[in-house]
Amino acid sequence: MKSRSAVLALGAALCLALPAFGASSGKPAPQFELPSNSGKEVSLAQYRGDVVMINFWASWCAPCRQEMPLLESMYRQYGKRGFVLLGVNVEPDSNAANNWLKQTPVTFPVLYDRDSKVSQLYEVSGMPTTIMIDRKGNVRMIHVSYKPGDENGYMSSLMALIREN
Amino acid sequence: MRRATQGRRAPPGRLARGAALAMLALACIGLTGCGTIEPWVKPYEREHFADPIMSLNRDPVSSVYMEHVFESREGARGATGGVGGGCGCN
Repeated sequence: MKSRSAVLALGAALCLALPAFGASSGKPAPQFELPSNSGKEVSLAQYRGDVVMINFWASWCAPCRQEMPLLESMYRQYGKRGFVLLGVNVEPDSNAANNWLKQTPVTFPVLYDRDSKVSQLYEVSGMPTTIMIDRKGNVRMIHVSYKPGDENGYMSSLMALIREN
Repeated sequence: MRRATQGRRAPPGRLARGAALAMLALACIGLTGCGTIEPWVKPYEREHFADPIMSLNRDPVSSVYMEHVFESREGARGATGGVGGGCGCN
Protein backbone atom coordinates (compact mmCIF):
# COMPACT_ATOMS: atom_id res chain seq x y z
CA MET A 1 0.00 0.00 0.00
CA LYS A 2 2.81 2.34 0.96
CA SER A 3 4.76 1.65 -2.22
CA ARG A 4 1.67 2.21 -4.36
CA SER A 5 1.06 5.66 -2.90
CA ALA A 6 4.75 6.45 -3.40
CA VAL A 7 4.48 5.48 -7.05
CA LEU A 8 1.36 7.63 -7.40
CA ALA A 9 3.08 10.62 -5.78
CA LEU A 10 6.11 10.20 -8.03
CA GLY A 11 3.87 9.98 -11.10
CA ALA A 12 2.02 13.14 -10.10
CA ALA A 13 5.28 14.98 -9.42
CA LEU A 14 6.64 13.99 -12.84
CA CYS A 15 3.47 15.12 -14.55
CA LEU A 16 3.49 18.49 -12.79
CA ALA A 17 7.17 19.20 -13.42
CA LEU A 18 7.44 22.35 -15.53
CA PRO A 19 10.12 23.02 -18.12
CA ALA A 20 13.08 25.17 -17.06
CA PHE A 21 12.83 28.94 -17.49
CA GLY A 22 14.27 30.66 -20.58
CA ALA A 23 15.75 34.03 -19.70
CA SER A 24 16.47 35.03 -16.14
CA SER A 25 18.50 37.83 -14.64
CA GLY A 26 22.20 37.06 -14.23
CA LYS A 27 22.15 34.13 -16.63
CA PRO A 28 23.58 34.12 -20.19
CA ALA A 29 21.08 35.44 -22.74
CA PRO A 30 19.73 32.71 -25.06
CA GLN A 31 21.22 33.07 -28.53
CA PHE A 32 19.11 33.68 -31.62
CA GLU A 33 19.28 34.77 -35.22
CA LEU A 34 16.43 36.59 -36.99
CA PRO A 35 15.77 38.37 -40.28
CA SER A 36 15.82 42.16 -39.97
CA ASN A 37 14.32 45.16 -41.77
CA SER A 38 17.67 45.76 -43.50
CA GLY A 39 17.28 42.41 -45.24
CA LYS A 40 20.18 40.84 -43.36
CA GLU A 41 20.08 38.14 -40.72
CA VAL A 42 20.93 39.57 -37.33
CA SER A 43 22.25 37.44 -34.49
CA LEU A 44 22.70 38.33 -30.85
CA ALA A 45 26.24 36.94 -30.89
CA GLN A 46 27.46 39.67 -33.26
CA TYR A 47 26.85 42.31 -30.57
CA ARG A 48 28.96 40.66 -27.89
CA GLY A 49 30.90 43.42 -26.15
CA ASP A 50 28.05 45.94 -26.49
CA VAL A 51 25.21 46.62 -24.10
CA VAL A 52 22.19 45.12 -25.90
CA MET A 53 18.58 46.00 -25.23
CA ILE A 54 15.96 43.70 -26.74
CA ASN A 55 12.47 45.11 -26.99
CA PHE A 56 9.64 42.72 -27.90
CA TRP A 57 6.92 44.77 -29.58
CA ALA A 58 3.90 44.60 -31.86
CA SER A 59 2.02 47.21 -33.84
CA TRP A 60 -1.25 46.15 -32.16
CA CYS A 61 0.19 46.81 -28.70
CA ALA A 62 -0.58 50.38 -27.58
CA PRO A 63 2.13 50.69 -24.88
CA CYS A 64 4.71 49.40 -27.39
CA ARG A 65 3.73 52.12 -29.86
CA GLN A 66 3.91 54.65 -27.06
CA GLU A 67 7.46 53.80 -26.04
CA MET A 68 8.84 53.41 -29.57
CA PRO A 69 9.78 57.12 -30.09
CA LEU A 70 11.45 57.12 -26.65
CA LEU A 71 13.48 54.04 -27.52
CA GLU A 72 14.45 55.71 -30.78
CA SER A 73 15.76 58.82 -29.00
CA MET A 74 17.65 56.59 -26.54
CA TYR A 75 19.25 54.74 -29.46
CA ARG A 76 20.13 57.98 -31.26
CA GLN A 77 21.84 59.24 -28.15
CA TYR A 78 23.79 56.13 -27.15
CA GLY A 79 23.86 54.05 -30.35
CA LYS A 80 27.44 55.06 -31.10
CA ARG A 81 28.66 54.53 -27.55
CA GLY A 82 28.47 50.76 -27.30
CA PHE A 83 24.70 50.42 -27.07
CA VAL A 84 22.56 48.32 -29.40
CA LEU A 85 18.81 48.22 -29.46
CA LEU A 86 17.02 45.35 -31.19
CA GLY A 87 13.29 45.76 -31.73
CA VAL A 88 11.89 42.24 -32.04
CA ASN A 89 8.51 42.36 -33.74
CA VAL A 90 6.37 39.41 -32.64
CA GLU A 91 3.74 39.55 -35.38
CA PRO A 92 3.34 36.60 -37.78
CA ASP A 93 2.62 39.06 -40.60
CA SER A 94 5.26 41.80 -40.72
CA ASN A 95 3.26 44.09 -43.04
CA ALA A 96 1.34 45.71 -40.19
CA ALA A 97 4.63 46.45 -38.42
CA ASN A 98 6.23 47.86 -41.57
CA ASN A 99 3.23 50.07 -42.29
CA TRP A 100 3.30 51.43 -38.77
CA LEU A 101 7.06 52.03 -39.00
CA LYS A 102 6.47 54.21 -42.07
CA GLN A 103 4.63 56.66 -39.84
CA THR A 104 7.06 56.32 -36.93
CA PRO A 105 10.46 55.59 -38.46
CA VAL A 106 13.17 54.13 -36.25
CA THR A 107 16.89 53.82 -36.95
CA PHE A 108 17.59 50.78 -34.75
CA PRO A 109 17.36 47.28 -36.28
CA VAL A 110 13.87 45.77 -36.30
CA LEU A 111 13.88 41.97 -36.29
CA TYR A 112 10.98 39.79 -37.34
CA ASP A 113 10.10 36.88 -35.04
CA ARG A 114 7.33 35.62 -37.30
CA ASP A 115 7.04 32.14 -35.79
CA SER A 116 7.42 33.37 -32.17
CA LYS A 117 10.48 31.17 -31.61
CA VAL A 118 12.48 33.91 -29.89
CA SER A 119 9.45 35.03 -27.86
CA GLN A 120 9.18 31.46 -26.60
CA LEU A 121 12.91 31.28 -25.98
CA TYR A 122 12.78 34.39 -23.78
CA GLU A 123 9.38 33.41 -22.31
CA VAL A 124 7.87 36.79 -23.02
CA SER A 125 5.19 37.15 -20.34
CA GLY A 126 3.73 40.51 -21.34
CA MET A 127 3.86 43.08 -24.10
CA PRO A 128 6.12 44.96 -24.40
CA THR A 129 9.01 43.09 -22.75
CA THR A 130 12.38 44.81 -22.52
CA ILE A 131 15.56 42.90 -21.75
CA MET A 132 18.97 44.40 -21.01
CA ILE A 133 22.06 42.32 -21.76
CA ASP A 134 25.49 43.35 -20.50
CA ARG A 135 28.77 43.34 -22.46
CA LYS A 136 29.49 39.77 -21.39
CA GLY A 137 26.20 38.52 -22.80
CA ASN A 138 24.34 38.06 -19.51
CA VAL A 139 20.73 39.11 -18.94
CA ARG A 140 20.72 41.92 -16.38
CA MET A 141 17.25 43.39 -16.49
CA ILE A 142 13.84 42.08 -17.54
CA HIS A 143 11.08 44.63 -17.69
CA VAL A 144 7.51 43.69 -18.62
CA SER A 145 4.94 46.26 -19.82
CA TYR A 146 5.40 49.98 -20.29
CA LYS A 147 3.91 52.98 -18.58
CA PRO A 148 5.13 56.56 -18.89
CA GLY A 149 8.23 56.99 -16.76
CA ASP A 150 9.54 53.44 -17.27
CA GLU A 151 12.09 54.85 -19.72
CA ASN A 152 13.94 56.28 -16.71
CA GLY A 153 14.47 52.72 -15.49
CA TYR A 154 15.82 51.73 -18.90
CA MET A 155 18.18 54.71 -18.83
CA SER A 156 19.55 54.03 -15.35
CA SER A 157 20.09 50.37 -16.27
CA LEU A 158 21.86 51.43 -19.48
CA MET A 159 24.02 53.95 -17.62
CA ALA A 160 25.11 51.30 -15.13
CA LEU A 161 25.84 48.66 -17.77
CA ILE A 162 27.65 50.94 -20.21
CA ARG A 163 30.20 51.81 -17.51
CA GLU A 164 31.07 48.14 -16.96
CA ASN A 165 33.90 46.59 -18.90
CA MET B 1 -21.62 -20.48 -24.43
CA ARG B 2 -21.97 -18.50 -21.24
CA ARG B 3 -19.85 -20.94 -19.38
CA ALA B 4 -17.01 -20.56 -21.89
CA THR B 5 -16.80 -16.77 -21.48
CA GLN B 6 -16.91 -17.10 -17.71
CA GLY B 7 -13.95 -19.42 -17.89
CA ARG B 8 -11.84 -16.85 -19.76
CA ARG B 9 -12.55 -13.97 -17.39
CA ALA B 10 -9.42 -12.54 -15.65
CA PRO B 11 -9.06 -13.00 -11.88
CA PRO B 12 -10.46 -10.03 -9.88
CA GLY B 13 -7.05 -8.97 -8.43
CA ARG B 14 -5.59 -8.57 -11.88
CA LEU B 15 -8.59 -6.57 -13.04
CA ALA B 16 -8.24 -4.19 -10.11
CA ARG B 17 -4.55 -3.70 -10.84
CA GLY B 18 -5.32 -3.00 -14.49
CA ALA B 19 -7.96 -0.49 -13.48
CA ALA B 20 -5.52 1.20 -11.08
CA LEU B 21 -2.90 1.48 -13.84
CA ALA B 22 -5.47 2.91 -16.23
CA MET B 23 -6.49 5.43 -13.55
CA LEU B 24 -2.84 6.39 -13.00
CA ALA B 25 -2.34 6.91 -16.75
CA LEU B 26 -5.51 9.02 -16.92
CA ALA B 27 -4.42 11.04 -13.88
CA CYS B 28 -1.05 11.60 -15.53
CA ILE B 29 -2.67 12.93 -18.69
CA GLY B 30 -5.07 15.07 -16.66
CA LEU B 31 -2.38 16.50 -14.38
CA THR B 32 -0.18 17.40 -17.34
CA GLY B 33 -3.04 19.66 -18.38
CA CYS B 34 -2.99 21.31 -14.95
CA GLY B 35 0.75 21.95 -15.19
CA THR B 36 0.55 24.08 -18.30
CA ILE B 37 -2.59 26.02 -17.52
CA GLU B 38 -0.98 29.52 -17.38
CA PRO B 39 -2.10 31.98 -20.10
CA TRP B 40 -3.66 29.91 -22.85
CA VAL B 41 -2.85 32.56 -25.42
CA LYS B 42 0.66 33.91 -24.99
CA PRO B 43 1.03 37.68 -24.62
CA TYR B 44 2.78 37.89 -27.98
CA GLU B 45 -0.13 36.09 -29.65
CA ARG B 46 -2.84 38.55 -28.61
CA GLU B 47 -3.04 40.21 -31.96
CA HIS B 48 -6.72 39.41 -32.50
CA PHE B 49 -7.74 40.17 -28.91
CA ALA B 50 -6.12 43.58 -29.14
CA ASP B 51 -8.11 44.44 -32.25
CA PRO B 52 -10.57 47.26 -31.47
CA ILE B 53 -13.34 45.17 -33.01
CA MET B 54 -13.06 42.82 -30.02
CA SER B 55 -14.25 45.48 -27.59
CA LEU B 56 -17.92 45.39 -26.65
CA ASN B 57 -18.12 49.15 -26.44
CA ARG B 58 -15.96 51.58 -28.41
CA ASP B 59 -16.53 54.42 -25.97
CA PRO B 60 -14.16 53.99 -22.99
CA VAL B 61 -15.99 56.51 -20.76
CA SER B 62 -19.34 54.89 -21.33
CA SER B 63 -17.95 51.38 -20.80
CA VAL B 64 -16.27 52.39 -17.50
CA TYR B 65 -19.62 53.74 -16.30
CA MET B 66 -21.54 50.67 -17.38
CA GLU B 67 -19.00 48.39 -15.76
CA HIS B 68 -19.21 50.36 -12.53
CA VAL B 69 -22.98 49.97 -12.51
CA PHE B 70 -22.67 46.27 -13.28
CA GLU B 71 -20.08 45.71 -10.53
CA SER B 72 -22.22 47.55 -7.97
CA ARG B 73 -25.23 45.49 -8.88
CA GLU B 74 -23.41 42.18 -8.86
CA GLY B 75 -21.32 42.85 -5.77
CA ALA B 76 -18.33 41.49 -7.68
CA ARG B 77 -15.82 42.88 -10.09
CA GLY B 78 -13.30 41.97 -12.76
CA ALA B 79 -13.25 39.58 -15.70
CA THR B 80 -14.78 42.13 -18.04
CA GLY B 81 -11.46 42.72 -19.76
CA GLY B 82 -11.83 46.45 -19.34
CA VAL B 83 -8.30 47.41 -18.41
CA GLY B 84 -5.17 47.63 -20.48
CA GLY B 85 -4.40 48.34 -24.07
CA GLY B 86 -3.90 44.76 -25.15
CA CYS B 87 -0.40 44.65 -23.76
CA GLY B 88 -1.16 41.60 -21.61
CA CYS B 89 0.53 43.24 -18.63
CA ASN B 90 -2.40 43.98 -16.33
